[in-house]
Amino acid sequence: MTAVAATAARRPARTTLLTAGLAVAVPAAALLAAGVGAYGIPLGDILASLAHRIGVGGHALDRVPESVLWNVRLPRVVLALLVGGSLGCAGALMQGVFGNPLAEPGVIGVSSGGAVGAVACIVLGLDALGSWTVTVCAFAAGLVTVFAVYALARSGGRTEVVTLVLTGVAVNAFCGALIGIFLFTADSAAINQVTFWQLGSLAQATWGKVLGILPFALVGLVVAPLYARKLDLLALGERPARHLGVDVERMRLTLITVVALLTAAAVSVSGVIGFVGLIVPHLLRMAAGPGHRFLLPAGMLGGALVLVTGDLAARTVAQPAELPLGVLTALIGSPFFFWLLRRTRSRQGGWA
Amino acid sequence: MRRRRVPDRAEPGAVVVEGRGLRLALGGRELLAGVDLTVRAGELLALLGPNGAGKSTLLGVVAGDLAPTAGELLLAGRPAAELKVAELALHRALLPQAAELSFPFTVGEVVRMGRAPWAGTPAAAQDEEVVTEALALTGTAAFAERPFTALSGGERARVALARVLAQRAGLLLLDEPTAALDLRHQELVLRLARQRAAAGDAVVVVLHDLSLAAAYADRVVLLAAGRAVADGPVREVLTGPLLSEVYGHPVEVLDHPRTGAPLVLPDRATAGEPLPAQPSSSSRKPTFSPT
Amino acid sequence: MIGTTRLRARIAAAALLLAAVSCTTAGGAGHPGAAPATTATADRVEPIATTPAPALPATTASADGRQVTVVSADRIIPLSGSLSEIVFSLGLGSRVVARDVSTTFEQAAALPVITQAHDVSAEGVLSLHPTVVLADRSTGPAEAVDQIRAAGVPLIVLDDAKQLADVDGRIAKVAAALGVPAAGQELTARTDARTKEVQASIAPTSSRPKVAFLYLRGSASVYLIGGAQSGAGSLLEAVGAVDAGTAAGLTRDFTPLTSEALVKAAPDAILVMSKGLESVGGVDGLLKLPGVAQTPAGLDRRIVSVEDGMLLSYGPRTPQVLRSIADQLARGAAG
Repeated sequence: MTAVAATAARRPARTTLLTAGLAVAVPAAALLAAGVGAYGIPLGDILASLAHRIGVGGHALDRVPESVLWNVRLPRVVLALLVGGSLGCAGALMQGVFGNPLAEPGVIGVSSGGAVGAVACIVLGLDALGSWTVTVCAFAAGLVTVFAVYALARSGGRTEVVTLVLTGVAVNAFCGALIGIFLFTADSAAINQVTFWQLGSLAQATWGKVLGILPFALVGLVVAPLYARKLDLLALGERPARHLGVDVERMRLTLITVVALLTAAAVSVSGVIGFVGLIVPHLLRMAAGPGHRFLLPAGMLGGALVLVTGDLAARTVAQPAELPLGVLTALIGSPFFFWLLRRTRSRQGGWA
Repeated sequence: MRRRRVPDRAEPGAVVVEGRGLRLALGGRELLAGVDLTVRAGELLALLGPNGAGKSTLLGVVAGDLAPTAGELLLAGRPAAELKVAELALHRALLPQAAELSFPFTVGEVVRMGRAPWAGTPAAAQDEEVVTEALALTGTAAFAERPFTALSGGERARVALARVLAQRAGLLLLDEPTAALDLRHQELVLRLARQRAAAGDAVVVVLHDLSLAAAYADRVVLLAAGRAVADGPVREVLTGPLLSEVYGHPVEVLDHPRTGAPLVLPDRATAGEPLPAQPSSSSRKPTFSPT
Repeated sequence: MIGTTRLRARIAAAALLLAAVSCTTAGGAGHPGAAPATTATADRVEPIATTPAPALPATTASADGRQVTVVSADRIIPLSGSLSEIVFSLGLGSRVVARDVSTTFEQAAALPVITQAHDVSAEGVLSLHPTVVLADRSTGPAEAVDQIRAAGVPLIVLDDAKQLADVDGRIAKVAAALGVPAAGQELTARTDARTKEVQASIAPTSSRPKVAFLYLRGSASVYLIGGAQSGAGSLLEAVGAVDAGTAAGLTRDFTPLTSEALVKAAPDAILVMSKGLESVGGVDGLLKLPGVAQTPAGLDRRIVSVEDGMLLSYGPRTPQVLRSIADQLARGAAG
């Protein structure tokens, strides 16, 4: 009794602490990011302007700082929060659904499918929906690719994880070839645009894009935690999870849909930003255990924190130039990942 | 939470599993070729037979994992196909051959997963108590806080058993529960199975150790090439000639000099001689008629 | 729409690529005021003689359909190299507070850059507190342009410069927006006169040489040939040449070309941007590219190279560009 009680007590203490810490760190980082940049805005001014807009005192700033804050900085910070939260949550879901700590949304083709959509749109010069065309194309193509992967991997009402991953590998390769064909036929301007898009960036953030991604991020925020306990059971394997009452196939379809929505929405507004979805859930798992009731909300918060900080670094480290965010996350993420890999191997003899 | 009907405890002797003419073919190969199986509350049934006889397959069909291609299966009097996944979880628990875990949950957390089917039912109130008991019974309470992934094979097997016990289902299916265990823990597992049967559960155990089966089972079903070739009390089924025939190796059944329990021993008189040519197990046709 | 976006991005792309390939100072070796007798034209702009004082406020029609009133021209940010060239030539260079990546002439070299890759950074622009921002229709991203406008900074959009005939109109538009219409007239007159002078000096030839405008990218031996939308057509026409790409029926801005197609197009001369030429190792390097040596242009070593920032800017320096192209064509033909 005592041993069980101790386990039960210790982990929740740590998870609560960590979640609370993240919940404080995210708004703090967001405020910092809102103030720092080429056009500096003091914290006091930000709070005053925020209070003014909410209608609880404060005062509006001069026209230019007010506009920089509300039309340039805040959409970018909010978009970073949403994209980061979506990627962190999608990563935690993917790893849980596949029972594999190496899974990330890219495995099932969301990112490369989205890239094909965006590249096709840029190269073919489509602009039926104005500046939204690339975004919408990327989103639609990302979703279509995921469901194509899922449909191809499904057989007799069941989906083997290995088949799913291998199908994803093949479809990713196919998408790579399609991008290659588009690039081959593209003119230099399109190639430039494509490259910039593939590097990932939040530089073109607008409130419109924030509103575009918001419903999908909300779906993730609401739906994902409902499956936390069942995802824990899935760690036992598919059969044992089913024996404990989990309709594995249905849950997997639901959650892959959620992952696809979250990632496709994120990719469509920010380009390909790698490694957030892979690393964030890992760190949290190492810090406070693998329980998904903690991991899913903390993954959202952690992803948001990483991306807000990363974007702040991307636009300030090399001022006045701006590093592509996707490059920055992969640049820091990859060595970190290697370190994690070696550390885990020496401690536990492998991934666990 | 969806409403589920929490099953009543079956009366001792009540039929929990009723399978008739169960057939299963996968990839053109017939794994079950028409098996009848009845399991009653309060009994420990051992499923025996050589490799590839269909023991685990039959267990999978009874567990609802595999849909039989023909035949009828009733669980607690209802067609198994009608039961939803969540409802099935209240009826039966299955201990798989290999215990795996993708993420480093602690032993306590793993055992508590066994209580998942009862979430939202009155039985959830006993979760802590049941988990603690399961840990104690399997001797795993001492490492309840350690990550499951850091355990040895034998420890994992006992934790997996604890999880299955914590599920408290009326039908307990154990697939080779003793495979990874040392002698003491083999006996422990079968004593626990006995205890569950005595408490009114229906217990089905797939075993390779015939003496273990002889010592603990109430009834034995002997499978060969997808058919039940014998079904009855230990004394009737575990006979030298039948076992020799089914396993394709001479077998002797002796009585224990002190307890009188049957001891099943392979004839090892020719152990030092070179191997005769072996007929492949799939081409071997059973020459006996089912009882 | 697509065409103009590509044009804008192409210029930026070329500048970006070439900036990465070569670190040479733009036109640093040139002698200001020297006649463009050599291929090395100084990368400087020449302001008009009198420095004008803007008469403001002035209201002008922006190409995006808005009426924009400029109240102060104390801090100007032109968002393209072509616009910078006009503003500096009008004698307002001291009021310019930032430049974009395609503004490469010497006088602007010390200004902070407010583009990232080829995209305008709204924050970068606003942090320099401009009182007026000038943009081309193809300046992007659209989000940044909207954000600058939303911050209340007067933002005037001009139609893109695509041909020789656009030069005067653009100069007049910029001059009017900044409250210096007289300076605009002075600059227009000077530019027109110089253009006429160049054209008059070109010896009439019986046949019009066919010139291929090649966009080179390093030594990857992939080249793109300019077509009808490349922007170089009207320059070639003005010096009595024919654009080989347009003649071959290419309608896009640039088209990837195989070596054999280049040989078949048989240009008499090849027009390149100077940093593009450097990136392939000069004329000798260019001639080593498959297909180039086999063309009449390659056999005669008739290669025309013009500073990247100047070639397609269509502004006050365009007469210099014409002079340079004409001279190089003539010399190649003679040699």
